[in-house]
Amino acid sequence: MTSYRTFWVICGLYFLTLGFTTASGMEILKWLASKGAEFGASININRIPLYHFPDIWQNLIWISGLFKIVLAVMVVISITNEYQYRTLRQNIIDGLSRWEFLESKILTNVLLSLMSVVMILSIALVTGFIYTPTIEWDYFFVGSEFFLAYFIEVFAFLSYALMLGILVQRSGLTIVLLMLSHMIEAIIKINIFRSSVEDQIGWLKQFFPLESITNLVPLPFARYAFQEIQDYVALGAVAIALVWTVLFNYFAYLKLKKSDI
Amino acid sequence: MLGPNGSGKTTTLGMLMGVVNPTSGSFSWFGEAASNHTRKKIGAVLEHPIFYPYLSGQKNLELNAMIKGADPNNIPKVLETVELTSRKDDKYRTYSLGMKQRLAIASALVSDPIILILDEPTNGLDPMGIAEIREIIKKIAADGKTIILASHLLDEVQKVCTHFAVLKRGSLMHIGPVDDVGKGEEVVEVQAYHDDLGVLLQEFLGSGSIKRENGIFQVMMKDGYHSKDLNRFLFDKGIVASHLTTRKKSLEKQFLEILSDTSHKA
Repeated sequence: MTSYRTFWVICGLYFLTLGFTTASGMEILKWLASKGAEFGASININRIPLYHFPDIWQNLIWISGLFKIVLAVMVVISITNEYQYRTLRQNIIDGLSRWEFLESKILTNVLLSLMSVVMILSIALVTGFIYTPTIEWDYFFVGSEFFLAYFIEVFAFLSYALMLGILVQRSGLTIVLLMLSHMIEAIIKINIFRSSVEDQIGWLKQFFPLESITNLVPLPFARYAFQEIQDYVALGAVAIALVWTVLFNYFAYLKLKKSDI
Repeated sequence: MLGPNGSGKTTTLGMLMGVVNPTSGSFSWFGEAASNHTRKKIGAVLEHPIFYPYLSGQKNLELNAMIKGADPNNIPKVLETVELTSRKDDKYRTYSLGMKQRLAIASALVSDPIILILDEPTNGLDPMGIAEIREIIKKIAADGKTIILASHLLDEVQKVCTHFAVLKRGSLMHIGPVDDVGKGEEVVEVQAYHDDLGVLLQEFLGSGSIKRENGIFQVMMKDGYHSKDLNRFLFDKGIVASHLTTRKKSLEKQFLEILSDTSHKA
């Protein structure tokens, strides 16, 4: 797979956009401020500690979470290629067990998730040291547990993409399904949790697979509008997401084991 | 392994190689239950050659060797065997069909397997390509390897195989050595200038079935009767045969017989 050109192109694009987006937050703020000035509103961007330790951890991680779809598309291409070129079949014939095959794909997912974590960690450290006026070491690591949550977030989503690829086996269809997943889940939730029953069973929402992945890192920016936000990783959310991750990979294994290839 | 298209040759091999799940029945390799470890001792190419199109022949073989736990130093040797050394660094997708087939054989050989499974290795090749593959197969067989060959080209099987099995719609119809083809029943072709030759032939004690083709009678001989007995019988009746030959059954004939026999039963 490492010799496959599409892999490198997508990988490069992912890390480039991820890097540039997360590092350009201040420029975006400045742009917003200049736009705001045109409408007579003045925003003092220096009062928004976007890149200040320890806020920076959750801010950057939440933003980078939006980009995981790119990695997921790459995972889908890599697995559906194995079906399309029938190389999965030849690998099994050559003596790979089905589990070993899946294992190699899961390990790739782990690696991609780790690379994302390392990438964001380095960007956060660099930009943090540039923009933080005075670093208070006591609070430096507050919120760094979000990196663990981020790792689970990316890995869970890639596991989901891998499972989808193995179930559907066609790249185009799988990618469309992947893109629509959030919308499909949202529609299901709207239909289940009608306002009449919302109060009684609304708490069940957090158990939905994609919602559980999103819940790992809550949206941080509302705090700059003086709202209360969840600035910690909820253990319940981690547990639910981990269970789903195991299930995704298990379903992938079941399908792989039972199907003729 | 013989059979018409769609008779289950590839499916059978697929089950033996762990890519198709059998609905019933069992099998073992080398006296042990089949697993991915037994598959590593077998070199197999089912249907079309399958490789990563964006990798070179060399890289593809390296991957195969890695999966099989084979020594990558075998790669130059097997590339030499299939005469692909000069193209080894080109991407697989630039290969011609014949080269793809040969690379497939190379990949099956890379682990120095005990058994080689080839599924229609000459499918879609031109006469020269077919001859090349056939030479390679004979060369490999001369090294003392067991080769399982699936094909519907009977001529090919008769030329390179020692044993054969016939499949039809997923069931085994026949199994036996290729040498046995042509033994047993003997067919004698006979022609004579006599109007009632057909009736007379039926009086001959050694006659099995009698067929007439282009004015020549084909007499299926019963056990223990040979062409000379038929000749003596005709001579005693005062008839001199103008044409008398013993025909050994070809594999093709036997194959068609096996298939038609069983379709009557079915």
